[in-house]
Amino acid sequence: MAIVTAQKTPDRQPPLSETSIIGWMQKNLFSSITNTILTVITLYIVYLTVKGIYIWGFADATFVAENRRECYNNSLTGACWAGVIDWMDNIMYGRYPRDELWRINAGGILVVLWMAPLWMSKVKGKIFIGISVVMLYPFLAGYLFSGGSKGLFMQVMVSGAIVAFIANMLNMIIGLTKNQSLVQFLLRIFNQNNASDKTQRNVILGIMIISFLAIFLWQISFNLEKVGWTQWGGLFLTLVIAGVGIAASMPLGVILALGRRSRLPVVRVLSTSFIEIFRSVPLITVLFMATTMFPLFMPDGFVLNKLVQVIIAVILFNACYMAENVRAGLQAIPKGQFEGAHTIGLGYWGTMGLIVMPQALKHMIPNIVGNFIGLLKNSTLVSIIGLFDILLMLRSISRDVPWLGLHREPLIFGAVLFFILCFSMSKYSRHLEKKLSTDNKS
Amino acid sequence: MAQAVDKKNKARLRPKEKFNFFQDQRVRSVFYQLLTAGLVGWFLYYLGSNTAQNLEARGMSTGFGFFNTTAGFDTEFKLIKYTPGVGTYRDIFIIGALNTLLVSFFAIIASTILGFFVGILRLSNNWLVAKVALAFVEIFRNTPLLIQIIFWFMGIFSVLPVIKKTIDLSFGAEFLLLNNRGLYFATPIFGNLFWLTALALAIAIIAVIIIRFRAKKRQEQTGEQVKILLPCIALIVLLPAITFFATGMPLAWDIPSIQGFNFVGGASLPPAFLALFVALSIYHAASIAEAVRAGILSVNKGQTEAALSIGLEQKKVISLVVIPQARPAIIPPMISNWLDTVKNSSLAVAIGYNDIVSLFMQTTLNQIGHALEIVGLTMAFYMTISLIISGFLNIYNKRVQLVER
Repeated sequence: MAIVTAQKTPDRQPPLSETSIIGWMQKNLFSSITNTILTVITLYIVYLTVKGIYIWGFADATFVAENRRECYNNSLTGACWAGVIDWMDNIMYGRYPRDELWRINAGGILVVLWMAPLWMSKVKGKIFIGISVVMLYPFLAGYLFSGGSKGLFMQVMVSGAIVAFIANMLNMIIGLTKNQSLVQFLLRIFNQNNASDKTQRNVILGIMIISFLAIFLWQISFNLEKVGWTQWGGLFLTLVIAGVGIAASMPLGVILALGRRSRLPVVRVLSTSFIEIFRSVPLITVLFMATTMFPLFMPDGFVLNKLVQVIIAVILFNACYMAENVRAGLQAIPKGQFEGAHTIGLGYWGTMGLIVMPQALKHMIPNIVGNFIGLLKNSTLVSIIGLFDILLMLRSISRDVPWLGLHREPLIFGAVLFFILCFSMSKYSRHLEKKLSTDNKS
Repeated sequence: MAQAVDKKNKARLRPKEKFNFFQDQRVRSVFYQLLTAGLVGWFLYYLGSNTAQNLEARGMSTGFGFFNTTAGFDTEFKLIKYTPGVGTYRDIFIIGALNTLLVSFFAIIASTILGFFVGILRLSNNWLVAKVALAFVEIFRNTPLLIQIIFWFMGIFSVLPVIKKTIDLSFGAEFLLLNNRGLYFATPIFGNLFWLTALALAIAIIAVIIIRFRAKKRQEQTGEQVKILLPCIALIVLLPAITFFATGMPLAWDIPSIQGFNFVGGASLPPAFLALFVALSIYHAASIAEAVRAGILSVNKGQTEAALSIGLEQKKVISLVVIPQARPAIIPPMISNWLDTVKNSSLAVAIGYNDIVSLFMQTTLNQIGHALEIVGLTMAFYMTISLIISGFLNIYNKRVQLVER
């Protein structure tokens, strides 16, 4: 005889051991005697470490002082952050003229603003934004950072970049407020939104040319003060080397990876040996090669400056690692995709560019971010061959007279800075990987 | 019948092949290959001719003749006998190569042990332990190795107590002394009859191998398990020990002691070696820990559950079911980590440890030029090592694949 009721009996609450903190602790920390002992010991070690770091780094630390002697007078057991704070501008910008620092900041803000729309779902025309940031931003930033008098080419590129940046910002604002693209908005203003394609195109082209000319004429009137590359330094130089390195090694890496998978034996052998040679030697030997052998390779009377030598070396080195990432991404694409693309009549470049690469890119994102993190960490090696990057700046503090012998604090500061940069990037890439993942596995 | 018809139809249906020179697959492939080879060849020729011109303009000679010239500078740390002014640049090259291999070897061993340990802690069912291991991995993986090396050198090993206040790591026996000049340790002096002890140890090891082999064979045939652990340990410890005492303890220690401003006796490792060793070990332990964790996680959970359900103990589940299946996933990334350790040991140049880059590629190159030969030779050294290591990796991968099928 079953007891039948019309109403469903309410669900019982889960047992306390599954929901409460005590239950969680019992399961994860004190499940057995050995586990309890382990927990207590670990807790003690963690307590000691955190306490030690807190006392050394904060409680007993000196943040304001004129020199190291004052730090010692304040406390013998604490860190002397005053030295790091005193040198902060050097650590960030190197020996860049102090009056011109706004240029570096502007360059940094520009790239953030330029790329910001890529993360906004309402904004349209992301492909153009992506292309413009790769093709035009480097010229604007390059001019901002180095200054000097502009040649005609530089004038054109800088004006183009400014126009593109303004258009990008307007596009973002219009996209966020009116949910339209800039082009649609402009056409509506000029009452041309029902006109033929050709008229529309002409109107847009006209607006572009007029604004370009206006900017071009405006920018002739001023020149930024010239700052030689020897004055670049600090975190700024590190980011320039890593940024240029990653941006330029990407296309080279794709070419090398395609070459390695090519059906043509000569192309395959050349790409493979290039990749394997650079992957089997340490970066520092490649950097030494760049500084000692590149001058011999150049034709008579042609001198590359050290920064360019280093950047070329970094690009060559990193491209080989990038090529392996791309190859791994290509290998993850099932053969059916190639065959399908061939079936609908696409040639080699069509197959690769339209079908394979877009899918492979998704698989490659975590590896590319990992590669960028590796490059950022490795770019500290340029300090060995005498470029004043962040590490050499940090090490210079200990040679500065007021802060003589201050080694630990600057290095720890640098390590924390790198940790924040690298850790947040790797976390974000993992998040992106999850978001982009389209397969149905959990 | 049907096949014959098919063949006939095919022959009829096949379109007449028109040979179009510009569209033909083979012609195009040959053309593109010639084009690539030509471009690369032209580029190399261009670089080569520039180099030859530059060398001539600067009056620089080429060739490996400098190998037999005597080198005038001394090195702080060396494994072979060398005196400045007498030794040649060949000796310098050998010293550098040996120093690189020495620090890499010890760092590889230490990082592998530490990495396994941390990787297993990462999977601990104790939440706190797992999080501490995670923090270790993330902290050391996300900061530049060069900063770590310099920190260990400048921040730790160079500011240790001076010689007068040296730290004794062996609790008063003065076997291991640590101070700001490095690590001093006692070296053994073997007596006349010490070879008998070594021989006894060798015999004991061979005997243990035979015992294990026979026990395993017996288990396979009859299913009986013989407990051999205790007898084996006894054999390996007791046999050499008895021989050692029977021959009258033919072993003495050369203990380092302070005389004047320095130590006499024993051997020592410079602070740069210690800093490089510690930094490389910890940095690579973090990556090996991740490889170990990923490898163990790659074993299907059903395998563990099935092993538990047929009544294996937790320890045996791990050693007989999980580890053997995780091994093929752990070993390749681990070996590539070893390779990275060798390459990263080149950062020694930043703290003045006398490895091949700092001795040969920096000091020698600054002294006598010969950039092409020296850079080429150093790169060839690293390439040889990575070829050897990746050769081992390929052999291992092949073996694992064969076992799988």
